[in-house]
Amino acid sequence: MLSRRRLLLGLLTVPFTLAGCGRDRKREQPQVVDLFIESDGDFLAFYPDSLTCPSGAHVRLMFHHGGKFLSARHNWVLVRPGQMEAVDKDVEHNEGIIPKDDKRVIADTPMCDKGVTVMTEFTAPEPGDYPFFCSTPGHGECMNGILHVTA
Amino acid sequence: MKGIRKSLAVLASVAAVLTVAAPASSQQLKSTEDVRTALRLLVQVSNDFKRQITNKNFARVPHEYMEYTEAADALRSSVKDEPADFKAKVETRLKAAVAAYQKVSDMSAKETDVDKLMAEHTKAVTAMNAVFDLFPAALRPDPNLPPPGRGGRRG
Repeated sequence: MLSRRRLLLGLLTVPFTLAGCGRDRKREQPQVVDLFIESDGDFLAFYPDSLTCPSGAHVRLMFHHGGKFLSARHNWVLVRPGQMEAVDKDVEHNEGIIPKDDKRVIADTPMCDKGVTVMTEFTAPEPGDYPFFCSTPGHGECMNGILHVTA
Repeated sequence: MKGIRKSLAVLASVAAVLTVAAPASSQQLKSTEDVRTALRLLVQVSNDFKRQITNKNFARVPHEYMEYTEAADALRSSVKDEPADFKAKVETRLKAAVAAYQKVSDMSAKETDVDKLMAEHTKAVTAMNAVFDLFPAALRPDPNLPPPGRGGRRG
C-alpha cells in the first residue's frame, strides 16, 4: 500500500519536473534576431549600411539584391574586425566566392542575382563592431558596412 | 530695316540652337530620376573598370564592359519618351562611348600594361562625358564623388 502511494506521488511529480525542465530549456535558448539588408538598387552600397544585434543572439539575416539593370552579383559577408581587406583580396580571383573553412569569416550569404533574396544564420559574436561587405571583386571597396554587436 | 532683319536673324538662330539642344532643363525631361540613375550607373561602372585595371584583375574587365552596356540600356530606356532628335543625339554619343569601353575590354585580353589600359580608359571617359553634355548639369553625376553609401574601407 505504501509503495503504491509512493508510486502515485512519484507519478504526480513527473509533470512538474518536466515543466520545470522545459522552463530551463526555454531560458537557455538564445534570442532570435531577424535582420534585413539590401543593395541600394544597382549602386554599390548596402541599405542600411549599419546593423545592430545583441551578443549571443541567433541572427537570421536576409539580404535582398535590389538591382534592376546591372547583372552584377552581390552577397553579404561578415568578418572579424580588421579582416575585410584581406578576405576581399583573397577571393578576388575566385569571383568573390568565400571558402567554407575561412576562420576570418563569421557568416556569409550565397552570391545572388538582381531581385533575389538570400539568407544566412549565425550566432552573434562577442560585443564589438564587425565589418561586412560584398565580396564580388571590386565591390567591397564601396559596398560595406558595420554590424554593431552589443553586450 | 536692316537692323531689324539682323535682330530677327539672331533671334531665329538662338531659337534654333535652343530647339536642337532640347531638353535643356531637367524639367523638360520626362523621367528625370531615371535619367539621373542611368547616368550615375554609367559613372559607377566606368569607375569599376578603373578599379579592375589598377588591381590588375584583367579577367573581370569584360564583365565590367557587359555592365556598361546594361547601364547604357538603362539610359536608353530613361529617354524613350523624349523627342526623336534628342534620342538620336543620345544614341550617337552613347554608341561612341560603348565602343570606347569595348576597346578597353578587348585590349585587356592581351595587354597587361596598366598605364596603356588606363590611357584607353581615359579616352572612354571623354566619350562618356560627351553623352553627359547632352543632359542638364543638375543631373550629371560628379565622377569624383564617392558612390552612395559608406564608400570607404573599414575594419
